[in-house]
Amino acid sequence: MSETTSTVARRRINLNGLLIEGRALIALVLIIIIFASLSPNYLGIDNLIIMTRHVAMNAILAIGMLMVILNGGIDLSVGSTVGLTGVVAGSLLEGLQIPFLDVFAYPAVWVVIVISLAVGMGIGYINGILIARLKVAPFIATLGMLYIARGIALLITNGTPFSRLRGEEALGNTGFLPFLKSSPLGLPMAVWVMVAFAIAFAIVLTKTPFGRWLYATGSNERAAELSGVPVKKVQTRIYLLAGLCAGAVGLLLTADLSSATPSGGEFFELNAIAAVVIGGAALSGGRGTIRGTLIGAFVIGFLVDGLVIVGVSQFWQQIIKGAVIIIAVALDQFQQTLQKRRAVKRVSADGKTSEPSRTAQSAPGEEKPLVDNSVDK
Amino acid sequence: MFRKIATVCAAGALVFSLAACSPSSDTTAASGGTTEKGTIAVITVDLGNPYWQAEADTAKAAIEDLGYTSTVNAHNGDADKQNQLIDSAISTKVQAIILDPAGADESVAAVQKATDAGIPVFLVNAEISEQGIAKSQIVSNNAQGATIGAEAWVEAMGENGVYVELFGNPTDNNAQVRSDGYAAVISGYPGLTKVGQETANWDRAEGKTKMEGLLAAHPEITGVIAGNDEMALGAIEALTDAGKISTVKVLGFDGNADAVDAINAGTMVATVLQPIVTGTQEAVAQADSFIRTGETGVADEKQSIDCVLINKDNTADYTSPFVLG
Repeated sequence: MSETTSTVARRRINLNGLLIEGRALIALVLIIIIFASLSPNYLGIDNLIIMTRHVAMNAILAIGMLMVILNGGIDLSVGSTVGLTGVVAGSLLEGLQIPFLDVFAYPAVWVVIVISLAVGMGIGYINGILIARLKVAPFIATLGMLYIARGIALLITNGTPFSRLRGEEALGNTGFLPFLKSSPLGLPMAVWVMVAFAIAFAIVLTKTPFGRWLYATGSNERAAELSGVPVKKVQTRIYLLAGLCAGAVGLLLTADLSSATPSGGEFFELNAIAAVVIGGAALSGGRGTIRGTLIGAFVIGFLVDGLVIVGVSQFWQQIIKGAVIIIAVALDQFQQTLQKRRAVKRVSADGKTSEPSRTAQSAPGEEKPLVDNSVDK
Repeated sequence: MFRKIATVCAAGALVFSLAACSPSSDTTAASGGTTEKGTIAVITVDLGNPYWQAEADTAKAAIEDLGYTSTVNAHNGDADKQNQLIDSAISTKVQAIILDPAGADESVAAVQKATDAGIPVFLVNAEISEQGIAKSQIVSNNAQGATIGAEAWVEAMGENGVYVELFGNPTDNNAQVRSDGYAAVISGYPGLTKVGQETANWDRAEGKTKMEGLLAAHPEITGVIAGNDEMALGAIEALTDAGKISTVKVLGFDGNADAVDAINAGTMVATVLQPIVTGTQEAVAQADSFIRTGETGVADEKQSIDCVLINKDNTADYTSPFVLG
């Protein structure tokens, strides 16, 4: 029973997803055409690579954010987590003083990376516990964590960035910057990390029970719980994954700037949310895909960088960015309403002719859950 | 069961880490409680930026050396937050306020409020647009600093070339003062052409992103002037990634430790040291004098301190952050 409804639900999501991604894709193509015609340098290989690197940081965060939004939650703390994990990596590379002893520890680079990612996941885990177990609203729990994580980052650095990240041969902690700043096959490390995260999370979402649970809890948490989905476990895990994504971005940003600043990642959470929403996800949960989110991140990144290259004033840049986000989501809502109306019409037509299923393959799969939804509400 | 234990542990760890953080601030307050001289409040801009961190640290040390207690807060350039901090300073009846104001016009009312409540205010780093309210306004001379910085940069450019500018936070009047100071010098050299300008809000990450955009639009540039060191350091990262750092001359402003390292490494031409440490020590000394005698001991309310150029000739004299020995 639960098997059939979930496959039906998934087919509907894929269909909707395709249409919505199509719209975001059109926006992206438009942006590229406009800026390419305004500046000859926009489509240069070097610039495309740089823009993609900017996109990658936001996209990685957005993938984590998508997990949370699919559940109907929100994670405002990822920007601060980016700053905190970067600072943790920076402090470990500069040497960690062991409390009560006059000894400094210089962990190897892979240890630094593992610890920093673990810190990111730890922050996410605390978020998850607060939300799933203590029933704090996601907005509030992660808003609090936004301040706490930023405060801890400032405490660790005492306001001064860590800039000696190269390490020393004698201490065996060199290689952090060369590794994360390297460009295997001509593409920056951030882009590879984005590709890896996108593939891994897409598999998790589409091929595992966890992915199906996540979509189910987002669509209707009560129904999911009654059909045996471990709702709390799912909730805790998605915040943990969002923290992992933030940790990865923290490391990449630190390498990118060759310096770990406590203010790193400020407002990143807002760009990530915008990318997810432009990519066609619903903030109420249950709808959204990795592909859409990636396209959303590309729309924002290519737009913002394009405005700089063309030389639009800073104030107009913000206005245009805001307008694009609103238009994208408004179009999305309009399309949703249209589809729903069309589906309802088809159902009532079916009722009159009392034909159980016509030749069209997609129609029954598409209309059934929609009717269920409307009945629920 | 395991879940519950994990929950408790996580919550406990959180509380513990918060508790572990607090003693440093508690001890200063506690030790201050035993002294009779009272508290001086320090309100700075952004404790996440080395420049203002130096300002706050200097003020705190100077205040405690004189036997007062100190409190340190930051308004992050938000006039409303500044207002709240002034309010709480008034209600705790501090002896004096050392303030780095959030905007020249927006801060007048806040300073007036403290003065009306009988608390003397001493401004450092930036000024307010009215005189006669604060007891003293100790400002580093941004226009003079921009002039000496621009002169050194023009010389390094060989008086020729195309360049771009990274502009600070547009709501901060120092951003405009510095930009104007640069422009006044550079306009005397027709061989220098500005091809682009972007706002990077004093921030290193934003400086890098904006520089990458500017580089894509104008690959031919040979110079970058930045309103502060953080943006200049971001630009240097972008230029290094693009393999252009050896041909592009970068100018910074503030004189922070990373900028001095960049000058030593040859990636930055020069920066302008803002004597923030001297200025802050001066402000605390005047506050102390005013509390004891009712006079600041200085004739003028507005006091401007000249900036000092840092280039590869004098980086060895840079002994500690924002101090040129």
